[in-house]
Amino acid sequence: MEMLIRILHNYYYMVAILLFVIGMHTMLTHSNLIKKVIAMNIMDTSVFLLFVAIGYTYGGAAPIVAENSEILYVNPLPGSLMLTGIVVAVSITAYALSLVVKIYRFYGTVDYDEICLIRSQE
Amino acid sequence: MGLEQHFPALIIAILFGIAFLSPLLFRWARKLSAPVLITTLAMATMMAVYLLVLVYQGGEFSYYMGGWPPPWGVEFKINLLRVYMLLIVLAISLWIMVYALKDLEHELKQELMGWYYSLYALLVGSMAGIALTNDLFNLFVLMEICAISACAIISIKEDRACLEASFKYLILSAMGTGCFLLGVAMLYMVTGQLNYDLVNEALPAAIELYPNNMFAAAALFIVAFGTKAALFPLHVWLPDAHASAPSPSSAMLSGLVIKIYAFALFIMFYQVFPRPLLESIPINEIVLWLSAMGIMFGSIFAMVQVDLKKMLAYSSIGQIGYVFLGIGLDDTIAVTGGFYHLLVHAIMKSMLFMTAGVIIYSTGIRQIKQLGGIGQVLPITMIAFTIGSASMIGLPGTGGLISKWYLALGALEIGRPIFVVIILASSLLNAVYYMPIIVNAFMQQEEFEHEVKPVPRQMLIPLFVGMAAIIFFGVFSRPVISLLENALQIFF
Amino acid sequence: MVPFIQVYGIYIILHGHLSPGGGFSGGAIFGASLVLIALSFNLEVGARQISHATASVLESGGALGFIITGLVAVALGGNYLANQAAGFPMGEAGELFSAGAIFIITAFLGIKVASTIVTLFYNIIEGDDKSGDAH
Repeated sequence: MEMLIRILHNYYYMVAILLFVIGMHTMLTHSNLIKKVIAMNIMDTSVFLLFVAIGYTYGGAAPIVAENSEILYVNPLPGSLMLTGIVVAVSITAYALSLVVKIYRFYGTVDYDEICLIRSQE
Repeated sequence: MGLEQHFPALIIAILFGIAFLSPLLFRWARKLSAPVLITTLAMATMMAVYLLVLVYQGGEFSYYMGGWPPPWGVEFKINLLRVYMLLIVLAISLWIMVYALKDLEHELKQELMGWYYSLYALLVGSMAGIALTNDLFNLFVLMEICAISACAIISIKEDRACLEASFKYLILSAMGTGCFLLGVAMLYMVTGQLNYDLVNEALPAAIELYPNNMFAAAALFIVAFGTKAALFPLHVWLPDAHASAPSPSSAMLSGLVIKIYAFALFIMFYQVFPRPLLESIPINEIVLWLSAMGIMFGSIFAMVQVDLKKMLAYSSIGQIGYVFLGIGLDDTIAVTGGFYHLLVHAIMKSMLFMTAGVIIYSTGIRQIKQLGGIGQVLPITMIAFTIGSASMIGLPGTGGLISKWYLALGALEIGRPIFVVIILASSLLNAVYYMPIIVNAFMQQEEFEHEVKPVPRQMLIPLFVGMAAIIFFGVFSRPVISLLENALQIFF
Repeated sequence: MVPFIQVYGIYIILHGHLSPGGGFSGGAIFGASLVLIALSFNLEVGARQISHATASVLESGGALGFIITGLVAVALGGNYLANQAAGFPMGEAGELFSAGAIFIITAFLGIKVASTIVTLFYNIIEGDDKSGDAH
């Protein structure tokens, strides 16, 4: 029971980890290359969610300096770090997709099993 | 405060700068782009040498990006070990680039050269950054840059094998960085810091409260760096990627890129995590046995390969095992051996890939079977190959012996003679797959029947440098060893 | 629609240091506006707005500008990428030109991101990708 309550209180961490595992599983087991790329994004996004969840304070305001500096702010650092992370994820996705386009040019398919089949027949 | 204080940032800034400049130069002044890249790498290497002198004189120091001290800004830490790694990265990438200029001409389309230089500079810059940075998130960004540019210098060749190999590499290294970032999140959750030293200070208190986070982070780091550095069960991407890439890229990837992650793992476990944590869970034991398995299986897989570059790639899996073995043995002498092997293997594996590149350039042969009698037509190349393999096996007079000697001494020191047996056995296995090539190349009587293109001098000079370096580090190992012993003092 | 999106993008780039936003978000909006042209008409019309050569030159130029701004700080005597410490002029807080080097850096970053998005879009559409660097 106590465990359940703890999980309920920290459900956003749990969701993030769940998403991470889903992403990792899809990435490693599915043979469709596009799905792999999407799973990679799910995985990255889950970590971003986790980071933002760490930085969030209940009732905190957006971290912009205003006149009365007494109010509680949300920790801005994880947010800005994740912005960098998103940029990195975007560039990796773009690069992976352009590779997929090229692989499609050569094989006419984006399914890894079919690619293996084509290669073994040669 | 003179200009030399800024060298840590300048090295990385000029490398990234040249990465963005070289496509422009290639567009407007094609002749200039290669000399500019070489000059930049040479300048960066000189700065690194100067940093070494500075550290010897004044001890370790830190550089704050933008003048912001640690809790806010990114810190670069400059101590002996970091400079040692930085110097290896810069010097060897300069050496490979000199060779690459000629080799690339026949492996790449002409108009892609500018992009290759750009990616190369990005790769070197990010590795230099990984060697110096003292901030977890900065490390993550640099790792991603390193991963993208490493994949891109494979896929730039645009044939099917390269594309597939680099996609596989990209997916697995994205998994690696994903795990790393999750590990960083775990640490940030309980410490609220990203700087290595501050995390280290905050961790002992945090372990009491949230031990599970620590264990998860440690496990995730092993998976992350293990994937990137091709630690044994996570090595599946390596053979394809390293074998299908253009030869200079293979030399770079096998020689440096996998090493830098082994170095990062060392820093994580010896600088970031506090010692009690390491002793409470068997991290070292896991790394030890994985590396021992890697040493054996890498060599066994290499024996059955028919493709020369694929054989060299599998041999890399075995050799990176030695570096991890040093880290796992957790003993000053063994770690010294591991880091010495890091240097020696970077030289010899790069050189072996260069010789493979010369063979492909000159004759177009990739199969080991067809190499019989090649020693008569390409004598210098095959002598270089012989010296490189001798060092792989660990014959006296080569650098490979010294590192294996120190590793074995370290294993004996902590009373684990089983690892001495593994080192000896793998040396034997190395001999089993390198020796036949050499014997065939020189001893076979029949004429070599393939067409042979003359090898340009620019490709042979780097081979001479490599041979000299291997023998130099085999005979005069003392300066480097004492540097390493000094450098490792702070960790033990 | 496109001019409005572009103005909004530029606004976000320029006010990056005052309100949420900055080089990346603004640049992405600006780049997206150019991609929209190509999507709603066709590739030729899109390519007429900004040619591949211009886009890739801007891409390198933006990043170079960033690095050079950092080096200027070194030349002025601060650390790499230092801002106020290196003597970049600071304005009144809340004004447009109030953050010294940050303003210059976000402007370069915006150029870089916008042109990168355009380049990436064309590369993926045409399938002849030449570089993998984008960050």
